[in-house]
Amino acid sequence: MWVQRNWWILLVAVIALILVVLLFTNRPAPAASNGASVAISLKTVPNIRSVTVSPDKTTFSNCTGGNPDLDTKSTSTELGYPNGHCWAGDPSGSFPIKIKYTGPPGQVFVSSSNAVPSAGGSQWSLCSTGCSGSQNLPGTDQYTVKNFGANRNTSTGLAGSLTCDHEFGSQGCSAKSGQTQNEGVELIGPETTANTSSTSWTVTITWAAAPPPSS
Amino acid sequence: MRGRWLSLSLAVAAGLVALAACAPGAAASVGVGVQVGPVRLGTVADRGGNYSLPPVYVVNTGTQAEAISVHVERLSPGPGLAVPPSWVSVSGSAVQLAPGASAKVPLKLAVPGQARPGGYRSDIVVTGSPAGAAPGAHIGVAAATKLEFSVSSRLAPAPALIPPWLWWILAGLVVVAALLLAARRFNLRITVERKTPGGSAAGPGQ
Repeated sequence: MWVQRNWWILLVAVIALILVVLLFTNRPAPAASNGASVAISLKTVPNIRSVTVSPDKTTFSNCTGGNPDLDTKSTSTELGYPNGHCWAGDPSGSFPIKIKYTGPPGQVFVSSSNAVPSAGGSQWSLCSTGCSGSQNLPGTDQYTVKNFGANRNTSTGLAGSLTCDHEFGSQGCSAKSGQTQNEGVELIGPETTANTSSTSWTVTITWAAAPPPSS
Repeated sequence: MRGRWLSLSLAVAAGLVALAACAPGAAASVGVGVQVGPVRLGTVADRGGNYSLPPVYVVNTGTQAEAISVHVERLSPGPGLAVPPSWVSVSGSAVQLAPGASAKVPLKLAVPGQARPGGYRSDIVVTGSPAGAAPGAHIGVAAATKLEFSVSSRLAPAPALIPPWLWWILAGLVVVAALLLAARRFNLRITVERKTPGGSAAGPGQ
């Protein structure tokens, strides 16, 4: 009877209990006191070099370009032909991908893959240099992808192999432990595609933590 | 009065949920780490030799499971010859790492017979790929450590064409053949006799 009438008191009590438990479990343990000994902390250099990127995936949006006369104009979320542009982020100030380097001083590299169609068939090859379309834009089944950040105004075309991520350093791509960089990605699609069966494509962009240059 | 308390309780509960969602580390991430120390072959390799390299330590620093792959790539210019990627392979099965988990990935080095003698330097690149493949922009991560070894001008001894156990079988066959030949040559006969309960011996077939 009492419980039925005062159920809200129980609810508040449970929430208060959870808060108290959370508060006390996050407290550091009290240091052990011993009159005859002294604890001396020691720090060592890191022995792991790592890179952590969040979020784990992103989507392209703000697509522009394409040809309305051919009914292949880009929509906000779909890349058009020829040579539509799509963005993950915005060079004017939106950089949704956070890259964190951890470990002894080193370098951060970046690369991209071919664009892989979800329905199978021919892929789009990456053409950071040597694109076969007009004005060096991607030709048939080619595309380019560039990364950008707050450090540089110009985007850098990514290659299929790991190359210096110049967003990490004005000279080269050096990184210190804990250094983070927020970046975005721009994609320029093909002039045309021979793959008529796929309308979904996956591009993998890889950031890598690497040792400093050899001396 | 009761309604007010109910609203207050719900607001506190909603606040806790929101706090948990905004807590640091709540966003999904993908990450990989590798040992800082280089992977070095303990001895000088001979041309045409096969070697086990020290295993490379790998850790998943992201918040979701990853498939780990390893390849060799020279990331920075420097002294030493570049290691051709085909020389190094992962021995053992494919590696999957849960968040925060680590593993030692065993590596094999196969130096071709026509390899150039000298010091070799490249990078072992460990790549972590999150499971699942929805269309869009996927994020991959990699971490690299140095790979160093030297190749001498010596040729590794050719591997035995006949395994040792086959030698034992061949030797056994030779002994049996020699015994049979000797039996023929010296008219040796082997008879098997069975003794009856009465004491007299019975020959074979009786």
